[in-house]
Amino acid sequence: MSLLLQEPGLLAGDRPARSRTGLLWDVIKNQPSATIGAVILGIFIVLAVLAPVIAPYGLHEQVGPVYGDPSWAHPLGLDDGGIDMVTLLMWGARISLVVGFAATFVSMVIGGTVGLASGYFGGRTDTVLMRITDYFLAIPDVPLMIVVAAIWGPSLFHIIVVIGVLLWTGTARVVRAQVMSVRERAYVKRARSLGAGNLRIILRHVLPQIAPILIASTVLTIAVAIFDETALAFLGLGDPSRISLGKVIENAFQRTAISSGAWWAIVPPGAAVALLILSCSMIGRAMEDALNPRLRVSHLSAKGFRLRPLVGRGRDAV
Amino acid sequence: MRGADYVIKRVAFAVITVFIALVLNFALFRLAPGSAVTNLSRVPHATPETKHAIAKQFGLDKSKGEQFVIYLKQLARGNLGISFENSQPVSKNLRTALSNTLPMVGLGTLFAIVFGTLTGVIAAWRRGTTTEHVTIATALGFYAMPTHWLALMLVIIFAGVFPSGGMVDDFLIDPTWFQHVKDVLYHMTLPASTLALVLYGEYTLIVRSAMLETLGEDYILTARAKGLKPRAIVRKHALRNALLPITTLIAISLGYIVAGSILVETVFSWPGIGRAVYQAVLQRDYPMLQGAFLVLVLSVVFFNLVADLLYFKLDPRIAE
Amino acid sequence: MRKGLAAVATLLLAASVIAGCGGSKSSSSGTTGSVKEGGTLRLGTSSRIDSLNPYVAFNQDAYSTFMYIYPFLVQYDKGLNFTPDFATKWETSKDGLTWTFHTRPNAKWSDGKPLTAEDAAWTINTDVKYQGTGGANTAGLIAHIKSATAPDANTLVVKYEKPVGNVLSQFQQLAILPKHIWAGYTGHKGADLKTFPNAAPIVSGGTFILTKFKKDEIALFERNPNFYGPKPHIKGFGLRMFSNDDALVSAMKSGEIDAIESVPPTAIDTLKKAGVNVSIVPGVTTNDFIFNANTKKTNHRELLNLTLREAFAHAIDRDKIIKVAWLDNAKPATSFIPPATGDWHNPNLKPETFDLAKANQLLDELGYKKGSGGIRTADGHKMSYEVIAPNDLTGVDRTFQIIQADFQKIGVELKQRSLDSSAAFDVITAPDGKYLNFDLAMWDWVPLIDPDFMLSVVTCAQYNGWSDSGYCNKAYDAMYSQQGTTLDQAKRRQLVWAMQDKLFKERPYILLNYENWISAHSKGWAGFVSSPQGDFNSLSKDSFTKVHQTS
Repeated sequence: MSLLLQEPGLLAGDRPARSRTGLLWDVIKNQPSATIGAVILGIFIVLAVLAPVIAPYGLHEQVGPVYGDPSWAHPLGLDDGGIDMVTLLMWGARISLVVGFAATFVSMVIGGTVGLASGYFGGRTDTVLMRITDYFLAIPDVPLMIVVAAIWGPSLFHIIVVIGVLLWTGTARVVRAQVMSVRERAYVKRARSLGAGNLRIILRHVLPQIAPILIASTVLTIAVAIFDETALAFLGLGDPSRISLGKVIENAFQRTAISSGAWWAIVPPGAAVALLILSCSMIGRAMEDALNPRLRVSHLSAKGFRLRPLVGRGRDAV
Repeated sequence: MRGADYVIKRVAFAVITVFIALVLNFALFRLAPGSAVTNLSRVPHATPETKHAIAKQFGLDKSKGEQFVIYLKQLARGNLGISFENSQPVSKNLRTALSNTLPMVGLGTLFAIVFGTLTGVIAAWRRGTTTEHVTIATALGFYAMPTHWLALMLVIIFAGVFPSGGMVDDFLIDPTWFQHVKDVLYHMTLPASTLALVLYGEYTLIVRSAMLETLGEDYILTARAKGLKPRAIVRKHALRNALLPITTLIAISLGYIVAGSILVETVFSWPGIGRAVYQAVLQRDYPMLQGAFLVLVLSVVFFNLVADLLYFKLDPRIAE
Repeated sequence: MRKGLAAVATLLLAASVIAGCGGSKSSSSGTTGSVKEGGTLRLGTSSRIDSLNPYVAFNQDAYSTFMYIYPFLVQYDKGLNFTPDFATKWETSKDGLTWTFHTRPNAKWSDGKPLTAEDAAWTINTDVKYQGTGGANTAGLIAHIKSATAPDANTLVVKYEKPVGNVLSQFQQLAILPKHIWAGYTGHKGADLKTFPNAAPIVSGGTFILTKFKKDEIALFERNPNFYGPKPHIKGFGLRMFSNDDALVSAMKSGEIDAIESVPPTAIDTLKKAGVNVSIVPGVTTNDFIFNANTKKTNHRELLNLTLREAFAHAIDRDKIIKVAWLDNAKPATSFIPPATGDWHNPNLKPETFDLAKANQLLDELGYKKGSGGIRTADGHKMSYEVIAPNDLTGVDRTFQIIQADFQKIGVELKQRSLDSSAAFDVITAPDGKYLNFDLAMWDWVPLIDPDFMLSVVTCAQYNGWSDSGYCNKAYDAMYSQQGTTLDQAKRRQLVWAMQDKLFKERPYILLNYENWISAHSKGWAGFVSSPQGDFNSLSKDSFTKVHQTS
């Protein structure tokens, strides 16, 4: 979910191609929000990866009474099973990030391929693929996710696939726009006239150019994927054997945390999710701004806006 | 004529989308593990004949193709089937649910639009100042919060001040119209506020960018040089320009709002279509689920169509 | 029966705590003692009435509703003995094949039409005639009935094909419907019985009339002026349905409702602190751990070994489960006939001790050696099993986690497969009701007072019906038939105890715990008659007749 904002005065998209790392470094330097976002995300990733090692208590270890109050030993209190909340947050972030990244990977592959094919080959292929994309967009994603998750059964794998298969449209559109602009560039036309095959052109010329925007789109999709996972878990459709941040919130909700006064069972996990989403949004948005703000899609066109549906996120407006 | 062409194309697109959704809808449920027949026939001493009779009653014994054709035929007649759960017409269940959802969701969106526009204008106007940064940061902050978590937070914060669930106080016997409206609004405050808070950020950012775009134009510079007050500029030019994306944004969000009410209604026990969807999923109530899903898709497609046509009216160049 | 489906087979004693004490105006003054007449009791529940049609409804709340709006021949008293409701006295013929009930004279339905034995006869005959189709819900209750007649307005004669031992228990659950309302809905070979919405306001014959019903929201009841029985103190009551426990408890704390039907254990302390009366009584809901006991199952046949099952039983820490999942609001269980049902429960059975060493020893003796990762091997494969768990089962996740962790210590690996009830049942009975595939499952039962139903679920006849264990044993079936036709209650009790003993040894289930029933009401109300299924139940009309505001 990003808003393709054109900041007057930022880099225009017609600059000659720069090295990718140079560009990214530029972004980080010039956009403080991206830096903050990256730092937050980095901290979460480190905590999540190291969770098995640095978590203060066992994940299933009951260390106190149900909904124990926060104390020095347990700064965030205990949940409905007497388990330390800090431990839960670390492990929960782990699963949430895994789902987020995995689902995004799926959607990146699908979306990238569709966008690439559509933008590069144009014509019939483009029309057909864009039609399919449009139809996917028109169907509200979260209700569909709920139905599919309910039918297929709650397991981590299913959730990842379900989310991934419904989130690729944003990426596809962005990639397509970028590919179409790259395709017209002089050096690509030259390579063509020299007889280079499509595959070669795609791999050597197009892909490197679209990689940054693809990454930006991907980062934004991660935020959406994380949100979708918490939504599904909250509605009881998450994997019951895995603790994700969404599941922690759901547990608290089902076991009357609020009316028991155990706000610590709800506020921290949700805040963690919000931070994750925020950091990914900041990074992605900054990258998009810097990389190519003037995509062919005019920012005043309704189709350029990405709306945030109430429950799902990141679907293009139309 | 190009205009008519465009309209026809968009309508056709809408119709096809609905059809695809119907097929998808139907296919998904029939492939489900755990069939409704089992659930319905879990009665004591249920003989195979009993189960067969129940299957027949709900048409579950025919081939998938036949079932689908029957489904389409009934849809054409406005018959969405009978809910498995309470044996009542799905359309009746949904109508009530939808009429409960719309006011709540409408109010929330209204708040979001108004508040979002205001903050967007402020942010654009006060470009570069702390006000702008704070406004944007807050907008982004709320935007990033998971809807259901924010709902729970509001419940925690306002416990005792606002009711934490339900749409009305059902024990209010024979209230006057005024009392009833007051009661509903009182219950609607928290859910609508949740929606407003998570939505407004988007409007802020869009309004801001639209205004910045306009404010950077030359003719604005001219107007200022001519001595026009900033406020007049904002009102006469920038805001008007922003109207286009805002209008279409509204039309489109209305479509998604109905779909997105699921989380809010679950937290607040709001008897609307979101909660109906969720319960239908839990009980494998196929007809209810198909009906609810259809309603949601229709609303999205309809509002997208409205957005397309509206946009075309405001800026005919889009037809190219 | 299953918690959610409990009401289906037998009207579960749904305990809905009707919380009384609301800010409703009280009518008469001049009350004796501390009984204030009038008022509307506001009860909250996180369950719901799924349907107002007795041929469709599954949920407990629906059945408690039926108890209060319809006449039943008999009801339970506080001691769980049968006492008159619509029938004032009854006799059996010597051979047990004919039962005669004398019903209340000059009774009326709420619409003024006469309520007579003919309504009872019509209901019974309709249920018998259409038991294969529209009347499937009540089929269990009218088993073995040949016909029912009403020779006069106050006499009902029911003829059976063979003597039945629990006739009164069956009639305690059979709602008598108004013939003049329902007679037109038997079309399509009785299928129309299920589609009649029976919408509010309902023509009622019980203590209250259901005047208003909004699905998933509210059900409002008003005193029935035509009721033949004792008049209630309250003017009416309302059942408010919440979609989650938090909203329910918050509403109680803020005074929006007067009582809670079933309080989640985590909210007990917070309610007590808020000055609410919390009452905890032994309940009947029983949680279990299920083995696929079908001797014909294809894989993992080591699970059929009785010693292995005993070993598993020693590896389940019931106390810890009770502490964590139920916050000490449950008791360890032995048989699926709970002590709360009175002396049908076999008191000689004791829960297996939690003894990991013994469990390990038993498994060692069976020759299942521990391999890599500490998991044992049996018959050439790892002892790693999938446990099917319905996702709406209370406390299932916590319970499973505890069991899983302990089983790890005896070298057995468990994986949880969470499914909704319908899908879970499908997987358990797969393929095609043959119970060949599954290994383990978890679920619960909400037994009735009379043990006949619970004992029936493990009979061979219940394959693809109520059986979730695939247990099928000829000797057991013979015992079941016998107790079903034993009229001497003492002899019947002996048989029932013997059956529980057999099941304990053969262990198709490891019964985990009996849940307490926790209900709450604000201090302004009193007079609730509690039962193992709470205060709003389908055991009798007593509770809401006696409930009143205190002054």
